[in-house]
Amino acid sequence: MKILLIEDDREAASYLIQALDEAGHVTHHATDGETGYAMASGMDYDVLIIDRMLPRRDGLSIVESLRAEDDRTPVLILSALGEVDDRVTGLRAGGDDYLTKPYAFTELLARVEVLARRSSPSEAATVYEVGGLTLDRLSRKVERGGEVIQLQPREFRLLEYLMKNAGKVVTRTMLLENVWDYHFDPQTNVIDVHMSRLRAKIDKGFETSLLQTVRGAGYMIRE
Amino acid sequence: MRSIAQLWRTTTVRLTATFILIFVVFSVLLLALIAWQSSFQIQNQQAGDINREVRMLQRIDRTQGLRGIAFAVQRLSSQPGPGIYYLGDPAGLYLLGNVPEVPPDIILEPGVYSFDYDRMRPFDADEEGEARSSRGFAVVRSVELPSGLRLVVGRDVVERRGFTAIIIQAFLAGVIGILLFSLITGGVTARRVLRRIDTINATASKIMSGNLSERVPVTKRNDEFDGLATSLNAMLERNEQLMQGLKEVTDNVAHDLKTPLTRLRNQAEAALRPGVNESVREKALETTIAESDKLIRTFNALLMIARAEAGAPSGALAEIDVSTIVNDVAELYGPVAEDVGIALETSVTEGVHLRGNRELIGQALVNLVDNAIKYFEPREGVPGKIAVSVQREAGRVLITVADNGPGIPEGDRRRVLERFVRLEKSRTESGSGLGLSLVDAVARLHRGELRLEDNQPGVRAVIDLPAV
Repeated sequence: MKILLIEDDREAASYLIQALDEAGHVTHHATDGETGYAMASGMDYDVLIIDRMLPRRDGLSIVESLRAEDDRTPVLILSALGEVDDRVTGLRAGGDDYLTKPYAFTELLARVEVLARRSSPSEAATVYEVGGLTLDRLSRKVERGGEVIQLQPREFRLLEYLMKNAGKVVTRTMLLENVWDYHFDPQTNVIDVHMSRLRAKIDKGFETSLLQTVRGAGYMIRE
Repeated sequence: MRSIAQLWRTTTVRLTATFILIFVVFSVLLLALIAWQSSFQIQNQQAGDINREVRMLQRIDRTQGLRGIAFAVQRLSSQPGPGIYYLGDPAGLYLLGNVPEVPPDIILEPGVYSFDYDRMRPFDADEEGEARSSRGFAVVRSVELPSGLRLVVGRDVVERRGFTAIIIQAFLAGVIGILLFSLITGGVTARRVLRRIDTINATASKIMSGNLSERVPVTKRNDEFDGLATSLNAMLERNEQLMQGLKEVTDNVAHDLKTPLTRLRNQAEAALRPGVNESVREKALETTIAESDKLIRTFNALLMIARAEAGAPSGALAEIDVSTIVNDVAELYGPVAEDVGIALETSVTEGVHLRGNRELIGQALVNLVDNAIKYFEPREGVPGKIAVSVQREAGRVLITVADNGPGIPEGDRRRVLERFVRLEKSRTESGSGLGLSLVDAVARLHRGELRLEDNQPGVRAVIDLPAV
């Protein structure tokens, strides 16, 4: 994946570039807003990671300009401002996701990979299928090996989100944000409890376990 | 000491000066009116006297003839006072009277005149018995009597002029007196007002230089300055309390963050120690990350509390459905509670709306439910229970989280709302001591309050908010 990182903190940037490289991504780096904007509009990237506060040009204005030029490249906004309204303005400017500093690299990587997938056409698919487990988004039916699995509405949304991002790590925060639509600190292992219940429903009695826990990061569904 | 220019710039002095000016102008006008009125009156009265005497003498001339008129004029002339009398023959030549040298034009042509004359009066004589002569000024009326005799009756007005001079003197004395009086009273008033403002200023300077416990002195007069001083003092009191609170919070934050930071440092040091094996090092680094995550969460909670206490973030308050939030949180936490053997029950009035921040209300509710689960103590034969409810009650929205856990002793219920306060028995549990502080701050942000009540047994936490 080709990533553009616009970040003025050189130390944080070099750490990110190295870590993204280890994860198999090519990262270009710009240290100020103007250069970053020029690079973003001049080349094709899969994901843009833009710091909100940048010298010479504000991160949000870069996103706004790109969107005005009909550039739909997914954007992850990084910011030290993490209040609800900051997040809302960030997303309203055209950002696809918003991550508050400080963050864990696993969280950033998971979000970047999920974002990149958005530009692929499978977004519109009505039926997701992973290793014999199917989820029909229209009839809201879940089946595995010919057996219908009964899910609560929230469990259905949880599975839907995991299957949409099959093969990618999704973090607990991502699940809370996307399935419950809350950005608060859940204090405890609430997500884990829900995941173990979901796992009991879809994996119990089958030889292969589709729903996997990725240590130190989150969850992933795959064959 | 202030210079004159500085004094003139003060509102008090200008106001006082303006009032003195107005006062003096009106007093002068009033005195002038009185003076003018009195001299006019005297003039009128004299003119009336002259006319009356002329009429009387005309009548005497008509009825009693030459002898009568001569006698009457003689008698009037010899009376002391300002009267002037002249009786002449038809050609105007002097016959009788106290002023012999009236100009002939006046005698021959009837009318009203004034003229200078030599005054000679026996009753004005001084001690040597010598008749004193002085210049007089007369206002007279000249008539031709029916018998053809010429009569001139008048008044010496030098005395009247003297009277006017007295009035003017009195007038000037009055004006000077008023001026002096108003300057003194104005000055005293201005000085007093300025002095009281200066004390307030002095207090403000002392406070600015760091002495926060300084207060504006309040006198017993109970005037508007005392009113101002009382409100200022109340404000200063509040400021000092806030500063004190801030200082305590800062101290607490410093203290409570030092502990995890020390642990963090120790872990990093342990990982760097020479000769430790890979698994120990990995463990140490993992703990380091876990500790720093905890610190970040603590900071986030502190920031959230600070933001909530600072007031509504711009645009962050919107029409929200509290019932949905409560249902969401209950659904999110239901399985967690169930896993530790607690039944989470909800009793939600649907469609309860209010103006607020969805994330903050959600976080507050999560904190309450999380506490209820965290501090639950399993007891023999008593199943754990948490009841979450939303009710609308007389213009209030009540969000309640009630448990049957160990509860909070009554004496500690206020204290647990403070930042970083953790009760002794909860020290072993994970947590930052900020959970309830945040709930309290969120409640106050929404113009409501958090109440911790006895659920007998357990805690009943009520977020009491005003409905829209």
